[in-house]
Amino acid sequence: MAIATTDKTQGSVNTMSKVNPRIQIMKDNLFKDKRQISIERALLYTESHKQTVGEPVIIRRAKAVAYILENVTISIREGELLAGNRTVRPRSGILSPEMDPYWIIEEMDTIDSRPQDQFEFTEEDKKIYLEELYPYWENQSMKDFIVGQLTDEINDALKDEVFKLNQTDKGQGHIIMDFPAILEKGVQYYIDLLQDLAEEQPENDFFLAGLIVFKAMKAHFLRYAGLAEKMAETEPVEQRVTELKKIKQMCEKLSTEKPDTFYEALQLLWMTSIVGQYESNASSLSLGRMDQYLYPFYKKSQDEGVPEEFLYEVLGDFYIKTNDVVLLRSESSAKCFAGFPTGYTVVLGGIDSFGRDSVNSLSYMMLELYHEILLPQPNLSVRMNELIPRKFLLKTCETIRLGTGIPQLFNDEVIIPGFLSKGVSLDDARDFATVGCVEVSIPGKTYGLHDIALFNLLRIVELSMYELRGTKGMTYERLLENIQQKIQYYVGLVAEGSDIVDLGHRHYAPTPFLSVLIEDCIKNGKDVTEGGARYNFSGVQGIGEANLSDSLYVVKKMVFENKEMTFDELVDAMESNYSGKYASLQEHVIQDFDKYGNDNDEVDDIAAEIFRFYAKELEKYQNVRQGQFIPGAYTVSAHIPLGEAVGATPDGRKAGEQLADGGLSPMVGRDRLGPTAVLKSVSKLDNYLTVNGSLLNLKFQPNTLKGHQGLNKFADFLMAFTKLKIQHVQFNVQSKETLLDAQKHPEKYSGLLVRVAGYSAFFVDLNKKIQDDIIARVEHEL
Amino acid sequence: MQKGLVFNIQRYSIHDGGGIRTIVFLKGCPLACPWCSNPESRKAVEPVQWIKNGKKEIIGEWKTSAEVIDEVLKDEIFYRTSGGGVTLSGGEVLMQHLFAKEVLSELHYLGINTAIETTGCFEKERLESLLPFTDEVLFDIKILDMTQAKKVIGINLKNMKENFEMALQFPGVKVTPRIPLIPDYTATEENIEMIINYFKNFDIKEVHLLPFHQYGSSKYDYLGWEYLLKDMETLSDTEIDQIKKRFESHGFYANIEGLE
Repeated sequence: MAIATTDKTQGSVNTMSKVNPRIQIMKDNLFKDKRQISIERALLYTESHKQTVGEPVIIRRAKAVAYILENVTISIREGELLAGNRTVRPRSGILSPEMDPYWIIEEMDTIDSRPQDQFEFTEEDKKIYLEELYPYWENQSMKDFIVGQLTDEINDALKDEVFKLNQTDKGQGHIIMDFPAILEKGVQYYIDLLQDLAEEQPENDFFLAGLIVFKAMKAHFLRYAGLAEKMAETEPVEQRVTELKKIKQMCEKLSTEKPDTFYEALQLLWMTSIVGQYESNASSLSLGRMDQYLYPFYKKSQDEGVPEEFLYEVLGDFYIKTNDVVLLRSESSAKCFAGFPTGYTVVLGGIDSFGRDSVNSLSYMMLELYHEILLPQPNLSVRMNELIPRKFLLKTCETIRLGTGIPQLFNDEVIIPGFLSKGVSLDDARDFATVGCVEVSIPGKTYGLHDIALFNLLRIVELSMYELRGTKGMTYERLLENIQQKIQYYVGLVAEGSDIVDLGHRHYAPTPFLSVLIEDCIKNGKDVTEGGARYNFSGVQGIGEANLSDSLYVVKKMVFENKEMTFDELVDAMESNYSGKYASLQEHVIQDFDKYGNDNDEVDDIAAEIFRFYAKELEKYQNVRQGQFIPGAYTVSAHIPLGEAVGATPDGRKAGEQLADGGLSPMVGRDRLGPTAVLKSVSKLDNYLTVNGSLLNLKFQPNTLKGHQGLNKFADFLMAFTKLKIQHVQFNVQSKETLLDAQKHPEKYSGLLVRVAGYSAFFVDLNKKIQDDIIARVEHEL
Repeated sequence: MQKGLVFNIQRYSIHDGGGIRTIVFLKGCPLACPWCSNPESRKAVEPVQWIKNGKKEIIGEWKTSAEVIDEVLKDEIFYRTSGGGVTLSGGEVLMQHLFAKEVLSELHYLGINTAIETTGCFEKERLESLLPFTDEVLFDIKILDMTQAKKVIGINLKNMKENFEMALQFPGVKVTPRIPLIPDYTATEENIEMIINYFKNFDIKEVHLLPFHQYGSSKYDYLGWEYLLKDMETLSDTEIDQIKKRFESHGFYANIEGLE
């Protein structure tokens, strides 16, 4: 496929015709070895922790992080231009037993063979873990606190699988640090500032904790400078000697000063991210609007005559490094978040603080570079709005056409007003970016706990139906009423449970480094976990909209309008899992009743109303940081495990079968009228309500995006998406044949990227269930 | 208000006219093209029954023009962003010209792009009544030998040519001839020659070539009808390209499937 070169008016970008050899080497090395678990961070953390008994939690935490930064083994890998590797061995998973020492004990011997996201755990390390780490953390981890606080009612709800609480075993993440600020000020600025504040307010441990970590960041930079210097001494290739010397000089400079070039800015950006990773081992420390805050550096380097190829190469190095950090998850978590969504999410374009379009030449370059890198991270997103330049939209469409699911699209026209409705200022709302997979957040200003819990609305419908079996004079309204009561009840519990997790992080895992880089924490003298950030949310995802619409529509029509069978008989049929005398009923309910995704108001309004009820109920709650609970609607890959929790439902779905994928997508195979009808159905949910984020998957036949006309019609389709005020959409553009063949011959498709949900993963890395699901999602032919 | 017999409303079509379109398929066609890929639309304006996967289905539903307009306006937002609109196809749209007129005039009033697909097989008054509300006519040109045309598809060529020529002259209407390329029937040396010679009389810039496909074959089974072309091979890319080149050597841009 031809890659169009960007024209001169948008700044010239040299599109490389062949793969850059440095990028190729780095890519190859990243995937050469099997993924392993590294216990180095855990050991260093624990060693420090033993030395700080009796000190305040946040100081202990800061000292442990500092100890890691000062002692962890560091490396500069072949060809690298940017320093900073979380582990020496590429793509290692790291354990944080201070959060949860337990899950790994149970999964120790299966983790290298489990269905999803396997890791090697060496016998030697297992032994150390069992003998040194586990005994130390047993009974004093964050998990112990959380488990100890959960009430019987919450435990019952968890056991009934009405909701799931997330991030009980690792850092919260789902946050974007204030990168523009650190790029503008440099490390020493923070050291000086925190030093002064710590002296002025010695009673406030937050400033001292921040100071400890920032000083350690400086030391970490200097360690890399030392390593680069040492490597240069023995390096035989002259060009590489020059590069290593440059790394040395740059790390020395950045240990205190602010960056002056694009190269230096990327180096500081990456190191900031790595330090954050050491601190929280978090699920997704996202990158925000890279094309915006790096643009001045990019422009300056261009103006100073730095060759475009070099800028391209350094950014390529950065892209590849974002794939080095993988998250070690428990088996159940890996099921929900399959294929390593690390959350190096980046958004491009969008409205700027003046309300104008902000696409610049770096935005183009970042998309073009992706055409060469083709890895799951960084997870690029493009912000859609009415002002998007057609040229950038077409470049976006071309990138989507590559079929890897990148970039995903977010809609300014609905997300910005959504934030305004939650008290975010206009300037801040316009600056939103994405975190995790599809959650939206205000960069550098928000501690949003965007992925704190999943709330299974379909499970509630099921519980209500069973409870009401045998009710005399049963009506549809009675059922709705019961569902609403249950939503009320369980929303209260999920909020309470989320707050317990929230407090767990406050009491066991504060993040002083990250907090210094979140606005208002310094002003408030508080860690983010204490509520120091400007914006404080907790995001709970309401799940199952499609199946719930489809199910209640069948109940309404078949039972209460057509009176084909009684309510009790329908519940019996569900209980029988559509077997015996109810075997033929399954096809009847699937075939003969319209489904969500076909632009039928009567069906679509059901989900809209119940979701609205859920959202309004959730919004009544305030979290422990005086922030609001906000609803989202995405499942990531959790529609499979969440489906396992629900028995047969009136929409013809059998017990344990998956729910509709993504969040807002129609149930697999039930949308018959094509993608315009799907968008219309989704648009009827009040998408302004899902301030936390939502997810829509669409799958297209590669044929439909062919040629100039196909691309333009796709672009027009996306403009309609924008006007319909749907928050998010992402695409899989692979033919069914390709995917089936990849299932049969994984060896031939090691690089095949597909969209899972809010992120892309290597198809061959996914377990069969998720692969089958991706294949089954309807292919829309234009 | 007119009622029309509609057998399908297909949203998100990009292969029949500009932009993202909805195609309304009208039931009823007096012709009998052996290659027809919508055989359920043939014959009278009456519902027809077929058996698909063991299930009886009635093809064709009477709808008022207002109902059809409501249905197609569900995708209005997509027409607005893409410059697309609504195409009335068939069957033969002229079989239900009064209904078609109501639908087209309302859409035209709303500023939505309208197209019709026709074979022009009626007296020209019918087509003439639709053209003031029509932006584009996709005009099927099949066989130009008078005797063959009557014999194979049952069309009166005189009517067809009158309609075609009138449409070409009608102000504000774009006419795009569409030629199905059916081996042994329309894609013959002589027929292509006749079509080119006929087109030379007019100011025609672009034609669509629609290569034969077998997509409609299972519909004959559902209907329990005999399908004469079930063993017919499709044209090779080289053969299609040769025909394309012939048109282009005479100055007509030949667009395969209208997709280029």
